[in-house]
Amino acid sequence: MMSRRSLFLLVLGLTAWFFFYGPKLVLAAPFPQFFLAQLKYRGGEWDPNTQSVEAIIEELELRTSVSGMKERRIVTLSDPNLFFCPFLYMAGKYDFEPFTPQERETFRRFLTYGGFLFAEDTLGVKGVGFDRVFRAEMSRVLPNHELKRLPSDHSVYRSFYLMDSIGGRQKVNPYLEGITINNWTPVIYSQNDLTGAWARDRFGKWVNMCVPGGEPQRSSAVKAGINIVVYSLTSDYKKDLVHHPFIKRRQAQ
Amino acid sequence: MSLSQIIIAPVIPFWLISLLFALGWVLAIVQYWLIQRRLGRSRALRLSLLRLGAISLLISFSLNPSLVVKKDNKLSSSLAVLVDTSESMGLAGPEGNGSRLDEAKALLLGGPKPLLKSLEERYEVRLYAFGESLRSIETTELAGLKAGGKMGDLNDTLGKLDGKNAFAILLSDGNLKWENTDSAGLPLLALPLGDPKGYRDLLIKEVRAPSLAFRGRPVSIDVNIKSFGYNGRTLPVLLKDGERLLTAKSVRIDESPAQVSLSLSFTPEELGHHKLSVSIPPQFGESLTSNNTMNLSLKVVRDKIRILMVSGSPSSSYRFMRMALKNDPSIDLLSFVILRTPSNVMNVPVQEQSLIPFPIETLFSREIKNFDLVLFDNFPYPLYIGPNHAESVKEFVKEGGSFAIMGGPNFSSEGGYLNGPLSEILPTRFTGNENYRRDSPSWARLSRAGVAHPITRFFSSEGGHPDLWSGMPALDGINLVEPKSPGLVLIESDDTSRSPILSIGSYGRGRALVLATDYSWKWYMGRVAEGKGGLAYLRLMERMMRWLTKDPSLDPVVITLPERTITAGQETEVRIKVREEEVSPKPRGRVLLSVFSPAGMKIGSLLKPTRESGEYLGSFPVEKIGTYKVKVETPAGSVEESIVIPGPLEGLDAAPDHEKLRKVSSASGGKLLFSRDGLLKEIGVYAEKGEKHFIEERRLPLWGSPYAFALILVLLVTEWYLRRRWGLI
Repeated sequence: MMSRRSLFLLVLGLTAWFFFYGPKLVLAAPFPQFFLAQLKYRGGEWDPNTQSVEAIIEELELRTSVSGMKERRIVTLSDPNLFFCPFLYMAGKYDFEPFTPQERETFRRFLTYGGFLFAEDTLGVKGVGFDRVFRAEMSRVLPNHELKRLPSDHSVYRSFYLMDSIGGRQKVNPYLEGITINNWTPVIYSQNDLTGAWARDRFGKWVNMCVPGGEPQRSSAVKAGINIVVYSLTSDYKKDLVHHPFIKRRQAQ
Repeated sequence: MSLSQIIIAPVIPFWLISLLFALGWVLAIVQYWLIQRRLGRSRALRLSLLRLGAISLLISFSLNPSLVVKKDNKLSSSLAVLVDTSESMGLAGPEGNGSRLDEAKALLLGGPKPLLKSLEERYEVRLYAFGESLRSIETTELAGLKAGGKMGDLNDTLGKLDGKNAFAILLSDGNLKWENTDSAGLPLLALPLGDPKGYRDLLIKEVRAPSLAFRGRPVSIDVNIKSFGYNGRTLPVLLKDGERLLTAKSVRIDESPAQVSLSLSFTPEELGHHKLSVSIPPQFGESLTSNNTMNLSLKVVRDKIRILMVSGSPSSSYRFMRMALKNDPSIDLLSFVILRTPSNVMNVPVQEQSLIPFPIETLFSREIKNFDLVLFDNFPYPLYIGPNHAESVKEFVKEGGSFAIMGGPNFSSEGGYLNGPLSEILPTRFTGNENYRRDSPSWARLSRAGVAHPITRFFSSEGGHPDLWSGMPALDGINLVEPKSPGLVLIESDDTSRSPILSIGSYGRGRALVLATDYSWKWYMGRVAEGKGGLAYLRLMERMMRWLTKDPSLDPVVITLPERTITAGQETEVRIKVREEEVSPKPRGRVLLSVFSPAGMKIGSLLKPTRESGEYLGSFPVEKIGTYKVKVETPAGSVEESIVIPGPLEGLDAAPDHEKLRKVSSASGGKLLFSRDGLLKEIGVYAEKGEKHFIEERRLPLWGSPYAFALILVLLVTEWYLRRRWGLI
């Protein structure tokens, strides 16, 4: 026979458990379909925002039907599992060591045959540090394709949210850049430090201030992150004719 | 007799004859000179002339003179009587009294003094049955002649008879092949049969339709109708698929005879071979109703494979599959991805989201029939579509559509696949213990059925090799299912559980497939990682779609039907190409040919290999009109084709064409003889014109004549007598 005190404690415990874990159990799918693999390279600073992945995955699961894995995977270009990481994230601030020819060839094959890379310069200075070396390396990895500003009707701006401007911890470019091969953009590049805007500490507080736009700029960064992930999983789905009238109508509103 | 009737043919050279004549003259002159002193000039001259005459006559025999006697002879006319025996001659004659052929027989054999007998008495008559071929017949065979077969070629026939006959008499209704060649040959007297004014018929003269049509695209069939005797009427023209009416149109007939053209359009919705017919309902008083219908065969194929893909969430599985399907120009993909679930937070206004409503009602109630394949990719359908929509998917498959499941956690987590309407369609069921496994990687292997099945039987040119599957990367998650009879497992997990990964089956007239994983994209990237490209994955996806939608390109056999129109009574040949043997030749003899008559009975057929690898020639006799079914079976599958054999009266324009007979006879220098009275007299006029003469020439040698010898003898005796009297002897 349970005492009144025991029953009270049990109810209190169950209520607390439900409030802390319940929503997550309901919202999170049991088997994640998405995970983010971060590319570790030589030199520079390959991991400038260590607390961003869990935050963006939480937002992703909260807002979309994608279920993701909160733990990132860390891979190198020589890792045999690289090709099983369909979403590759690469970030940095400073100059890094150029890839070896073998690494470039692996990277080229990865990007040409279905892999996806989201890269960002968290320093946010054009032509300096990570930005300079990354652009140079991309021109070697995919010599026939140019890294350039993605047009406003690109699917990445409408894969989940309709976006006309990209935020971030900083606002170097209000747009994304990318390399497009046959209607598919395997490389998307930002200098706005999106991951810096996503990063939260273990208590849920934002790690970085977003300047100069503040919270709307952060909100835009999160939306851009979700759009990039959804784009990496759906490609140019939003270019299908069935979407046109809806998107046009909403853009007109 | 005149000198012009005498001809000479010297037996010795002419110069020698001249020399002999000269010698004779010299002798006569010498004789005259020797005896003129004794007898005087007059008597010497007479004796010398007598001697000269005798010698000249003797020498003239060497000229071999002959008398030519000519005699003019007449030949009695020979004529050919042609009786048309083609199909139209079996139709009713004037006022419905017997057939047109009966009318011909009565004309030749009837009456107190039959025309044929009269002709035979006066001329040399040769009698012919004139049908598809020309056949000489005896008079006694005429009464038993029957109408049938195609119309005859008159140009060819007259060419054969020319030179042997003075002229020809043709008894026909005018339904014959003839071209004006502007060369007068054998004169032809035509006796028209049938009654053009009383003839009433509606005829589907010509139907022009494609033999191949695309499903969902309108097909236009041009119809040409000929009408005799139905002016002022409005008639329906029907287009049917078997007994099912596809469309109908009315045509107005304003004159007689009249030709009316119209187009019938319809949009084929079902794939396969269709037996179509264009027809006009038989009208009162029609002379011939079997030409009111024309049959045709139409093969309906798809222009594109239309796929409706619903994905439960954005995923790599979706993206790679989308890439594979979009890569195929023959696939028209409409995909919906559930980007957010009802439990997701929507923290921005709607106008900032690109999400569109999922048109469930439109897709699953109205538009589903316009797709070839419905594909659920890790889609928890009970959360979005109601039981009625699931039922409509089930009905769609039952009626010939296709359904596929790409697995994932959502496939297992929702009860709809366990015991809902869609569970009946699927070739697998859940094991019941653990429905989705992610704890250990699953390698794949081909099952025994998968080795031979067209979906998984890859050729080396398509990136396949015996170790293809053992080299594929492991799958990180699979749905744990087990096969359901009569499903077939093609790929299974390479462990003790042998859990099906790729399974296929059928439901009703449709097909179903389950790919029980959301990690098939690793088969693509795994090969890319090895530097071998992702062709195997792309081919697998393509073949899955093509098999599901019964695409002919996956058919193990291709049957090529003869291009010419086959008629009953002919031997027919079909060419058979066995793709498997084409790629890897194996011992022949595993191919079976079955032919079924229009009544559904299996008939005898012959199958023999040609010199080409994988190619066979099948032959069978066609004895009846209707649709024959040709079925070829190989271990890899079977294929069927249909051949339509038109009836002999189908499309037959049997109206008596006396105008043509007039043109034919006029062009040959003959005449169209309408009147039955005085036929013999008319024929006689042409017989006279055609009468033939020849000159008989005889040569009578003069030297052999006793008169010539007697003349010589008289000359010599007279000379002898005078010589004796005048005292020279």
